[in-house]
Amino acid sequence: MNFSKIFRVAGREFASTAMTKGFIIGALVVPAVMAALIPLIAILSAAAQPSADKGTVYILDHSTEVYAEIETRLSPEEIRARWEARAQRAANFAKGMMGQAGGDQVENAMGFIKTPEFRIIPTAPDADIEEIKTEIRDQLASGTELDDPMQKILAVIEIDIDAANKANDSEGYGSYQAFFRPKLNEETVGEIESGVRWSIRERRYENAGLDRDQISELSKINERDSKEITEEGERNESSELATFLIPVAALVLLIIATMTGGQYLLTTTIEEKSNRVVEVLLSACSPMELMTGKIVGQMGVGLSLLIVYNSVGIAALIAFNRLDMISGQTIILFFVFFLLAYFMLASMMAAIGAAVNDMREAQSLMTPVMLMMMIPYFFFMPVVRAPNSMLSTVTSFIPPISPFIMIMRISSTDPPPPLQIAAVILVNLVGVVVSLWFAAKVFRVGLLMYGKPPNLRTLIKWIKMA
Amino acid sequence: MNSVRKTFGSKVAVQGIDLAIPEGSIYGFIGPNGAGKTTTIRMIMSILFPDSGELSVLGKKSAVESKDRIGYLPEERGVYKKMKVAAFLVYMGRLKGMDSAGLKPKVMDWLERIELGEVAKKKCEELSKGMQQKVQFIASVLHEPDLIILDEPFSGLDPVNMRLLRDLINEQHTAGKTVIFSTHVMQQAESICDHIIMIHEGKKVLDDTLGDIRNRFDPRAIHVDTINHDDQSTLISAVPGIANVRIHEGIHVVKLDESMDKQQAMQNILNAVPVSRIEIKRPTLEDVFIEIVTGGSSGGDHEDVRAKLLAGSKETQEVAS
Repeated sequence: MNFSKIFRVAGREFASTAMTKGFIIGALVVPAVMAALIPLIAILSAAAQPSADKGTVYILDHSTEVYAEIETRLSPEEIRARWEARAQRAANFAKGMMGQAGGDQVENAMGFIKTPEFRIIPTAPDADIEEIKTEIRDQLASGTELDDPMQKILAVIEIDIDAANKANDSEGYGSYQAFFRPKLNEETVGEIESGVRWSIRERRYENAGLDRDQISELSKINERDSKEITEEGERNESSELATFLIPVAALVLLIIATMTGGQYLLTTTIEEKSNRVVEVLLSACSPMELMTGKIVGQMGVGLSLLIVYNSVGIAALIAFNRLDMISGQTIILFFVFFLLAYFMLASMMAAIGAAVNDMREAQSLMTPVMLMMMIPYFFFMPVVRAPNSMLSTVTSFIPPISPFIMIMRISSTDPPPPLQIAAVILVNLVGVVVSLWFAAKVFRVGLLMYGKPPNLRTLIKWIKMA
Repeated sequence: MNSVRKTFGSKVAVQGIDLAIPEGSIYGFIGPNGAGKTTTIRMIMSILFPDSGELSVLGKKSAVESKDRIGYLPEERGVYKKMKVAAFLVYMGRLKGMDSAGLKPKVMDWLERIELGEVAKKKCEELSKGMQQKVQFIASVLHEPDLIILDEPFSGLDPVNMRLLRDLINEQHTAGKTVIFSTHVMQQAESICDHIIMIHEGKKVLDDTLGDIRNRFDPRAIHVDTINHDDQSTLISAVPGIANVRIHEGIHVVKLDESMDKQQAMQNILNAVPVSRIEIKRPTLEDVFIEIVTGGSSGGDHEDVRAKLLAGSKETQEVAS
């Protein structure tokens, strides 16, 4: 093995892949722009909310006492007040999750939301509900815009006579029936329904001689952040979002980086073979040097992706003041497992690339590799939920999916013990050596073979041959 | 090379070839398509490894250790389509262990010499096939190798470029480099090589200098063209010392008896028929090859082989034209 030749091949491989406009735009600029656009998208999507529904809600109140409550509850001022309170709660939550910046953003976004506006109209207690339904149908059928948008009938609510007052003790309370115009916003429907329910309940308390304030006081238990007891002391129980966010990001990043390098390796190998440039190269270096150089070159491509994405990720964590969510050790192990995963995948890709004549033929051999890359996704939920379960531990020891499982476990809040990490790395190193050995054999024989693409049996024959 | 043998599955590509190529010589590998030339060359280059037998290149056990001293133009040759011509050559030079200092001017110098100076900054894919081939030739000699192996170097070149390449090859030979090149077009080998290796069905069937081959395979025949180009075979065969006469492409091929003197026979023929042209037939490699393959037997076998051979060379000529 001549290292300067490996270095030259790697250099060309890296330059021809990563120093192209396509790569820089596709792999680096697009995600960077996306990241910059996320706040903008959030604001725009909030601003682009479908205009809030406005219109009339008819109340056919057989009980005669609920209507007044509904009118207050669904008055524009009350609705506005409730929505603002809700926005404030969300902003506070976001602050806890993502720091001041996140809170500000949510607050901003909420400011754009428009509240629905209702005109509540009672009908005569003996009115025919069918007439109002017909009126809605007529409005729908005419299809024209009404002069006054408030004329649009959004809903009609029929409240039972015994909704708030039991007819006799042996029977329960009555209820209500709501009819809506189709395609209303979810918020509109929710607001009307909850307003009606709140009002009915209000009347029931009153009739039963109970005090609402007292009831809500009785039913309310203030929340406190739960703590987790650890060996060192105690810590805030990690929020659901945080437990999932980091492992899923790590997994996706690892898959993207390994697949990018691997895919490029496959294409450049096929290209060299179909260009017939390969024999020219083989006159200057050995197949092993060529393969090693190519794998190392594409490793550089994967690594540069990782470094860029990781920096963006870390920058984001710093911005949201949550750098405590990952440790330096996690990052180092992340790179270690990237290399292990990459070398296994790359040797498969190099072997496939050398064995086939064009991209089309590569597809059938690629299928098992792609399926293999899907496996970590299937294990995502069970592994993240229980990073140290039997399943997680066992799958951690099966190369080539092992690095992907491990990275989820390591970046979870409950990382595996160091000894196990070391053992997994060792197992993967064996996996890397075996797959490189296998690839080197196929690579050497396959490079100069043209014609029928090999099946598994021919591949095995080649391995024996080399 | 010592009884080198190579099989692909059940097919024997090269069976027991012994070969010694002295330094500074220029050797031609000839033989029809699929004879085993490329496989032999690939084994010399250590791109393939023999199943059995031994070989040493430039005093080393295999070419692996002396790749930088060998220049190789494979038959299956290509370039990186998206790479610029000069960049490709610089890369190949670096891969061959050359220093980057002075490499660029050297590449430019070579490009000028093959009249491709203006394409240095073009992408390889923009070049014609012939141009690419010349670029690839540079890649094989750029690092001043001691041994140059050219597999079918002329295929796909027009006559002008063929001559240019032939001059370049001769120049390398004159500079004391060892040159091996393969071709299935026998005339090319005749015009360049001083030593011929003929390979047929994986076996070496001939290994001699051109002069010796000509002596050994002297067909003892005379070509006679009559003034009116008409058939005079009856008259000619009546001349004493003539074994037989056949007409090939309008020319009488007169085969002499073993003991007959060529000068005397020519004199006799001149006396017998009106002649516009008469000459002693020189053996072509094509004839030698056919003779070897058919084992000297005549008839249909002969013509089969000839047809097979011609098919090969015609194909090349068509590409060239």
